Amino acid sequence: MDALNNLMYGFGIALEPINIAYVFAGVFAGTIIGMLPGLGPISALALMIPITFAMEPSSGLILMAGVYYGAIFGGSTSSILLNAPGVAGTVATSFDGYPMAKQGLAGKALAIAAYSSFIGGTVSIVFLMLVAPLLSKVAVSFGPAEYFALMVLGLTAVVSLSDKSLVKGLIAAVVGVIISIVGIDMQTGTERFTFGSAHLLDGIDFLVVALGIFALAEVFYMLLRGGGGKEVPRNVIGSLKLSRGEVKQIAGPISRSSVLGFFTGVLPGAGATIGSFLGYSMEKRIAKDGDTFGKGNIKGVAAPEAANNAACTGSFVPLLTLGVPGSGTTAVLLGALLVMGVTPGPMMLEQRPDVFWGVIASMYIGNLFLLVLNLPLIPLIAKILDLPRPLLLSLILIFCMIGVYGMSFSVFDLLLLLGFGLIGLGMRLFGFPAAPLILALILGNIMEESMRRALQISGGDWSIFIDKPISLALLVVALLSLTLPLFKKRSKKVDASTAK
Amino acid sequence: MTRLNTNQWLGLILGLLAAAYLAMAWQIPTFPLPRPVDSDLFPKVLGFSLLILAGFLFFEKPTPIAGADEIDHEATQGPLLLTPWARVIVTSIAIAAYALLLVPLGFVLASTLLCVGLTAYYGYRRHLVNLATSLGVVLALYLTMTRVMDVYLPSGVLPF
Repeated sequence: MDALNNLMYGFGIALEPINIAYVFAGVFAGTIIGMLPGLGPISALALMIPITFAMEPSSGLILMAGVYYGAIFGGSTSSILLNAPGVAGTVATSFDGYPMAKQGLAGKALAIAAYSSFIGGTVSIVFLMLVAPLLSKVAVSFGPAEYFALMVLGLTAVVSLSDKSLVKGLIAAVVGVIISIVGIDMQTGTERFTFGSAHLLDGIDFLVVALGIFALAEVFYMLLRGGGGKEVPRNVIGSLKLSRGEVKQIAGPISRSSVLGFFTGVLPGAGATIGSFLGYSMEKRIAKDGDTFGKGNIKGVAAPEAANNAACTGSFVPLLTLGVPGSGTTAVLLGALLVMGVTPGPMMLEQRPDVFWGVIASMYIGNLFLLVLNLPLIPLIAKILDLPRPLLLSLILIFCMIGVYGMSFSVFDLLLLLGFGLIGLGMRLFGFPAAPLILALILGNIMEESMRRALQISGGDWSIFIDKPISLALLVVALLSLTLPLFKKRSKKVDASTAK
Repeated sequence: MTRLNTNQWLGLILGLLAAAYLAMAWQIPTFPLPRPVDSDLFPKVLGFSLLILAGFLFFEKPTPIAGADEIDHEATQGPLLLTPWARVIVTSIAIAAYALLLVPLGFVLASTLLCVGLTAYYGYRRHLVNLATSLGVVLALYLTMTRVMDVYLPSGVLPF
């Protein structure tokens, strides 16, 4: 009953006209940005942060959450129409979505994506509503040692689940923490790594790094890949209507993938991409017509779409209840919340119920907007894909600049942005994942603070991290998350050599 | 002498950076009152971690890099200023110039110049559409930020 009352309270906030406008604006902007190949939800969220500066925290997070799942939804459109996923979480959608589009069934594929996203999103909000308060009750008992271990686990999970080299992922994470501790040490007042520059006393703002590493680096990367003047081919959308038989066919995959997606999203490091691949492969395995997957099977569109939206909502659980983001995207959301003066965590439910329940209620509304407004608008929105790429690149640059300057009013930060853009490009070219860096950047300070507080409590005795059972368990899981992929790789190599 | 591979080069560079970082971490002054953990401990842990990881990277076999093969090789044959790397360098110089000119010229003028200039440089030839779109978006952003959200942006040489 409590959850229901709280949800009603949340709806009271989310249904304020201004917040409805923000949900719509967020979902709409997210859909458009997510649709643009290359610009994922992280870039979308980072670009939106300056807009939330002057907002109430609840409105700001409502807008950002809308952008997040709007971007996931929008990503499916470019996956289906162009075979160019705007978002990594919608790659699996293109496996069957694009073949459907080639058969002239783009409208149908888009409609399936929209219905599946809606149901996946809505089912997972119910889970979020039920799981989040329970988890935050457990999290209240966490001390600094447990928090430190939890953050280590968050980082190692993101590193181990990235498809890139484990060593490079860890290097990115360490560099992220290194950047996060630049400035005055809040506990002792000591300057660290400021090189005597007054600009660095307050540290390096995460927005500068996020926009540089993701959005600006993406612009540089697009410039390298070329295609400056190339136009995107236009597609015929076709009918959006589904037959009864088709609805029956996709009902099972949608419900299974919604649940699977949510729990994948809750796990640190997993999220929409892994959720969608798991959903897709699960359906392919259990379907009788599994051999038609990859050739335009409607279940192959429904499953990953339901799963990625559900995972997207699931990733809010660790963010809102523990204050520890489980992915790069939720790390940017955490950064945005900190800018607005809200610290998510177990106490947020008591201290800022307006933000917590307002966001949850707004997700229902946002999902409805995605379906009711975005679906009929898809043929229109798809015209954005016709925007000449040169103009698009220049506009992204302007958005980055205004984002950074509007926050710090510092020319120095604009130059830093350029520096991080070039670092991001280098990372991309040399195969370093960017998500661990941004997550470490956000967590670095809190991690150091937790570690020092724990050691202060123990009088400098490091065994505090293994004496506490929760902390020990989390550290063991963190270690396993790093070592298991290595063992898997080795056993694959052994298998391959025996097969030879 | 055998040639170093990409990972070995990266490992060496990161190793040197880690060593420099560690040297700086050792220069962090100690807090006057004795504490179990001082400001220098965490940076030292990070420096050593980076050094060890750089060592691992040195010995890791390089794999084909996903992004590197997607570079527009056709464009490398064209005029020097339009090669992919020239595009990145010119854009970087334009951003640096924008940062330095933002306050004296003002947001609207500097941003419109950057947007129109780079769009034309990237190969868009419909200059009127370019100017109208760039000016429209920049003005809309400027007015929203300054009038609606009360965020200061420099007006520069323009009176508003």
